[in-house]
Formats: sequence, structure tokens, C-alpha cells
Amino acid sequence: MLTEVKNQWKVTMLSIKYALQREMLNKVTFFSNIIFMMLNNACFIVQWIILYSLKNEVGGYSFKQILLLWGIAAGTFGVSHFFFKESYELSETINTGKLDAFLIQPKNVLLSCITSSVEVSCIGDMIYGWIMLFIYGFTLKNALLFAFFCITGGFILTSVAVIFASLSFWFGRVEIVANTINSLMTNFATYPEGIFKGFVKILFYTILPIGIVNFLPIQLLKDFNFSTFLIIIGVTILFIAVAFFLFYKGLKRYSSSNLMNVRV
Amino acid sequence: MRKYFYILKSELMSNLQYAFDILVGFISYCILIFIFLNLWKYIYADPTELINGYNMNQMIWYVIITEILWMSLGGRKLCKKICNDVKSGNIAYNINKPYNYVEYALFNHMGLVIIRFILVGLLGLILGIVFLHSFPSLTILEILGVLLSCLLATIINIMLVTSIGLISFFIEDANPFFWLYSKMILVIGTIFPIEFFPAVLQPIIKFSPIYVVSYGPAKLFVNFTMTNWTQIMIAQGIYLVISFLICHGIYYKGVKKLNVNGG
Amino acid sequence: MKTKIRKKGVISLAVITVEHLSKNFKVKLKEKGLKGSIKSIIKPNYKIIKAVKDISFNIEKGEMVAFIGPNGAGKSTSIKMMTGILYPDKGEIRILGLDPKTQRKKLAYEIGCVFGQKEQLWTHLTPYDNFKFFGAIYDLPSSHVEKKIQEFIELFELEDFINTPVRNLSLGQRIRCEIVASLIHEPKVLFLDEPTIGLDPVVKENIRVLIKRMNKEYKTTVVLTSHDVSDIEKLCKRVIIVNKGQIVLDDSMENLKYHYLNKKIVEAKMKEAVNLEDQEGITILKDKGYNLKMEVDIKKKSIADAIKLLNPDNIVDINISNIPLEQIISSIYKDGEQE
Repeated sequence: MLTEVKNQWKVTMLSIKYALQREMLNKVTFFSNIIFMMLNNACFIVQWIILYSLKNEVGGYSFKQILLLWGIAAGTFGVSHFFFKESYELSETINTGKLDAFLIQPKNVLLSCITSSVEVSCIGDMIYGWIMLFIYGFTLKNALLFAFFCITGGFILTSVAVIFASLSFWFGRVEIVANTINSLMTNFATYPEGIFKGFVKILFYTILPIGIVNFLPIQLLKDFNFSTFLIIIGVTILFIAVAFFLFYKGLKRYSSSNLMNVRV
Repeated sequence: MRKYFYILKSELMSNLQYAFDILVGFISYCILIFIFLNLWKYIYADPTELINGYNMNQMIWYVIITEILWMSLGGRKLCKKICNDVKSGNIAYNINKPYNYVEYALFNHMGLVIIRFILVGLLGLILGIVFLHSFPSLTILEILGVLLSCLLATIINIMLVTSIGLISFFIEDANPFFWLYSKMILVIGTIFPIEFFPAVLQPIIKFSPIYVVSYGPAKLFVNFTMTNWTQIMIAQGIYLVISFLICHGIYYKGVKKLNVNGG
Repeated sequence: MKTKIRKKGVISLAVITVEHLSKNFKVKLKEKGLKGSIKSIIKPNYKIIKAVKDISFNIEKGEMVAFIGPNGAGKSTSIKMMTGILYPDKGEIRILGLDPKTQRKKLAYEIGCVFGQKEQLWTHLTPYDNFKFFGAIYDLPSSHVEKKIQEFIELFELEDFINTPVRNLSLGQRIRCEIVASLIHEPKVLFLDEPTIGLDPVVKENIRVLIKRMNKEYKTTVVLTSHDVSDIEKLCKRVIIVNKGQIVLDDSMENLKYHYLNKKIVEAKMKEAVNLEDQEGITILKDKGYNLKMEVDIKKKSIADAIKLLNPDNIVDINISNIPLEQIISSIYKDGEQE
């Protein structure tokens, strides 16, 4: 069991390394992608400067907390889209029969598949996240917590993507649903929780777990609370488990590319 | 004129199939409006309060209109297409056609924009009415005035994006320029009216394309006055000429370069 | 089911056992146009397609078997079930005693797959680095992989391009590397799906030599699908033909040929026109007066008798040949369709 995990880890890291090498073939594109993404995120600060000139708190957040919220959002998005880029293409991979290549390898199909390429611009997101943490206030405790929440949040975002993409095994083309959920997650992630009321808030702690990915970490970085911390860990594990369960459940219904050849 | 109409019509028909793409656009549009609705409800302690001369409903309508304009433009697709035409040599093929490439691109793209404008426009109006229970008091004539300014805004926008795409005659990748342009419009032009920016910046923004492609039509929609309308029409007229000249200028320079290099 | 296999006594000999294998696909029917798309979302209309219908066969160690059939016959569905890609609806498969349904990972260590149209190599890496990567996938120690690569370089003549990035290789070199990459873990069974598709004749021949050499060196059992009859003719001693989800023929290549070798094609060019009618053992295929083509069933009429009918003095040129394998196979496909 332990050697199996070790071997899986080795292959996953190797796969990410090679995928990164592929992106680095063109150095200019590589670096400009990263820098443009950082600039892109930075642009949105303008919006918040204006909003905070109208009011000195928005949704219960100070300006620095908004920057931290952006930091967490960029960091989690970065982790998820960099290391697990292919989880956002998973629906198409399933529908076009491209899982075949991973099914004939003696490794975890889901992991092999979603780590098979990387999104370079997300390195910019991750760096941007850390810059925001520095502005917010860098202490060892903050840094450790921030790193940890980027990982748990990244895992949750990836799990949500996998869960909705796995519906393809049953319903075929669900890209629209999967993409909508993913864009909902990123759009809501950069606005303070306090501006929303009622029903949406329930969504934030259930099928659109932005609360767990973004809002609770902001809270914990301000006042650490062990039981909330445990909740974040628990929910992360739960999402990962559901993602794996659904994917493997659906895999039994996988039809490879055979259906595409059938024209009726 | 008729040939351009046919170009427009054929593009219109072929784009009907992209209903699904439009649906995805719809959803992200709804999310955006929903977020701003919540945001402005939070900022405005009292809906009748005026901030920089705008009440809450006006602020939300402002975003609804600027987003309709931006979403129906499909600027990234246009820029990509122009870049590809230049890179693949498709443009050289178009040189021999009995129409001008720039006008071809404009009318071709208008087909897509019109469909999207109607669909996103309807959606935006419905969202506004459902959430705000109100509609700016506009006469039929004023509505036509707003629509005219929307049309001009779109044409100027297409011309500017086409110019950006045509830069790829001279440099490897024009996408960063489009990116800068879209960020400028989105960050400065769609969320807040010009009055929200620091007094020093306001004159600069008024002279930038933002005033004619984004602020103008939205401002007219939320607060129509004859003076505003005349001002915006004049500004749009001037920008129309400028963008037309820039676009053709870059095109002819680029084609000349193409001929010198032998395609 | 298991006891049944043991009773037959095949489990000790057979590397691949397939028993009563079936697979259906549920396909959503879609009408044309936007209206049809909307309708198919609201009230989907399904059709069951029986891709594989109750097939059974055994393959023994070291065999090279051609698994062929027309498009949509169910051959790649069967292969995908054998490799653990697809779940069977009914039936049992054992590859080296392993069940692909439940022991996919274990099985993957033992088998290799090459799908002609699908590439599994990283194109920006050299074949060498790719082989190292595949070594890691199969948990092989680094030193072992190096040794293996050296062995392959010599055996399959890779030294010219072992350090060239795959994207700069020719299609033939690439396919060669694809096959070699799937051998790195010394699979006991190799599935080759259209390995020579899109290659020129010289490269095709190279690939065939490679496959033959591999079978000889490592005693690898090979299951091959191909639309190229010469692939099958040159590599395989046994043919399984599937059509419409069923096995229509499972026989040795010799038998297949022998059965049809009773018939010969006689083409003759004549000085004078002959008018020949169909008769016992002779079918006229083409008669243009001076040029004649006929099929002779030598069980019913000897070649000598057939030639006598032509008046040997008048023959300018004559050619007697076997029916090409391609024609044999397509006639078998057609037989299946008539049923």
C-alpha cells in the first residue's frame, strides 16, 4: 500500500515536471503568461480602491482583507488549475474517449489524467496570492496557514470540477453545467461574503463550497479557531472522497470513443 | 451595400447554431449582474441616496448596459480571427476580392454582435426589471437615441479591436494589446461611471475610447438629457472617423508590407 | 463460470480466455437541427446497439492472432474490454488469469497496448526520456530501465534517433517508438490496434519486422487488428474474424487459405476470340473476346482441363493465381451480412 502511494506520487510528480518542461519550450510566452496573469489580477484593485473610497468597509471586510481574499482566491485557483488543469477538461476527455490512454496504465486513472498538463499562467496566480499575503501581513503563522488553505481550497475546487465532469459518464455532454459551476466558483470567490444574503449563503457551504475555500480561511487568518480549522480539513477530505467515488462509479459506464463512431 | 448585407446575413445564420455558446455567456452575465446587485445594495444604505449623482437603481442599470455592450461585442473572438487571417495569409486572399477587408470584417462581425445584442439585451432588461422593479423613464424617441449610440459604440469598438488585430502584421503577437484594451474597458469602463473616479483622472477618461464605447450609451440610458446626447453623439462621430482612419491606415500599411515581402 | 473453465482444462494453456462476452451501448438518437437537439434533451430517445454478442475464444502463449472485421464489427470494443478500458455487460475474460474488470491495475503491469491513431508519447521529450517515463509508470528501477533501453536500441535499431525529441521524428519512427515504449515493462500480452495505419509500405515492413522479432525474442502473445491484409498475412498464424458483434470465423491462416485455394483465377490473352459459357467448376468473370478471366474450382475441374477448353495453341499469355486474401476476407464479411 505504502509503496503504491510512493510510486503513484513519483509518477505524478514526473508527469507534472514533464508537462511544465513542455510549456517552457518557449521562454518568452512562458514568462509573459505569468506576468500578464499577475497584472490581470492587479487590475481589479482599482475597483476596490473606488469602493473603499465610498465606504470604509464592504461586507464586513477591511481593504486589507479584500486583498487577502483576492490572495486566497488566486492561490486556490492557481493550485487547482496549475497542478490539475485537466480536471477542467475532464468532461470532454470522457466524451471523446481520451481516458483510454490512462486506463491502460497501472496507476490511478483520475490522478494520471488530471495531472497530465499544466496551466502556466496559474504560476502568476500563485505568486500573486503570496504578494497579497505579504501586503496583508506576513508572519510565520499566516504563511503556514495561507499555504495550507491554498492547498485545501485547490483540492476542493478540483474535486468540484471532477464531480460535475463525472456526470458525463451518465449524461454525456455536461460541459455547460461543469463550466458554469466552475465559473460560479471563481466569480463569487472575490467578493466578500457579507454582501450576500439568504439562499446563496447556503450554496456557499454546500454545492458551491466557496465558504470553505475562501471565507473561512479569511476568518481564521484573523482569529484562529481550531474547530473551524478541523471543519475545513473534514470538508476537504469529504469533497475529495466524493470526487473519487463518483468518478470510479462512472468509469464502469465509460464507453471510450465507440459511441462517437456510431452514426444513427 | 448589398454585398455587405449578404455577408452580414450569412454570418447571422451560421451563428444561430452557437446557441449553446450564447447560453454559457448568458449564465456568466446573470452571475455578474447578481453580484453587482448585492454589492450596490450593500454600499447604498438607502436606495434613494445619491452617490456622485447616481442612485442605486441607476448604478445597477449602468452595469447592465455596459455589460450588454461588452458581452455582445465578442472582442476576443474578433481579435483572434483578425490575427489568424493575417498570420495564415487569408488576408492576402481577401485582397483580390471585390470588397475591402476592413469593411468585410466589420459587417461579418456585426452579424454575430446583433444576435448577441438582442439576446443579452433582452436578458439584461428582464434581469433589471425583475430585480429592481423599475425602468428609467425614457420616451420612444429617447430609446431610439440610446440605441443609435449603442450602435455607434459597437462600430467604434469593432474598428478599434480590428486595428489591434491588424497590428499582427508588424509584431508576432497582438493579443497582449487586446488584453490591455479589454482590461481598460472592463476595469474603468463598465463598473463605475466616470464621475466615480478622482477629479484629476476624469478629463483623461472622457477623452479615452471608454467615453464613447461604454460610458456614453449607459449614461444616456440611466439619465437621458438632450445636452448629454448631443455631446456623446459628437464624441462618437469624431471617434468613428478616427477609428476608421486608424483601421484603414494600419491595414494599408500592413498590406504594403505584405506585398514588399512577397506575401 | 470459473469451474467450467477449469473443467475444460484450458486455463493452464491459454493466456487469454474469453467466454460469452457481450456488450451493449445505449445511444441517444438525435434528430437534425436545433429543434431535434432540444427535443433530445427534453425527451431523449435511446437505441440499444449490440456491439459484441456472446463471443468466446482462447489464445495460447506466444500466438500471434489477427483480430479482424469490418468497421463497427465490435473488434475494438472486444479489445477494449480485454484491456480493462471498457466494462463488459456479460461474460468472463481472463488475461493471464486476471480479470480486467476487477484487476485493471494488476493486469496493466502484464500487458502492453498500442493504438495506432492515439499517441501516448510526450512529443517534446526524446524517446529516451519517454522510455524512462514509462519505466516509472510501471515502477521499474532506473538501472533496469537503462538496461532495457540499451537492449531495445540494438534490437530495434533506434540509435539514430534515440536522443531526438519525438516531435521531430518521422511518423514511422514515432510509431516504432510507441511500440517500443509499450514493451518497456516486458508485457506478456501485446494488443496492437491498427499499428501500421497511415504508414508507407517501407515503414510498414519495418514495423512488421519489429513485431516479428519481438514475438520471437520475448515469446510475447500478440493480438493484432488491422485493415491491411498483408499485416495479417505476414504476421499471424491464426485469424479471428468478427462481424456484427459475432465471431464468424476462427481458424488458422493455412486453413483459411487452403479452403479458398481450391479456387484459382485464370487470366488468358488469346489470339482468337473464344466464347465460353459457365459450366461445372468454371465461372467466367470477364470475357472480352481476346481477354478472358475465369475462376476454376479445382476440386471439380483440373487446371489442365480448364486450359484445354481454351485451345492451348491460341494462348498468347496466361496467368494462374490464387484468390487474394483480401478478397477472401471480404467475401467472408459479405457472407455474414447475408444471414
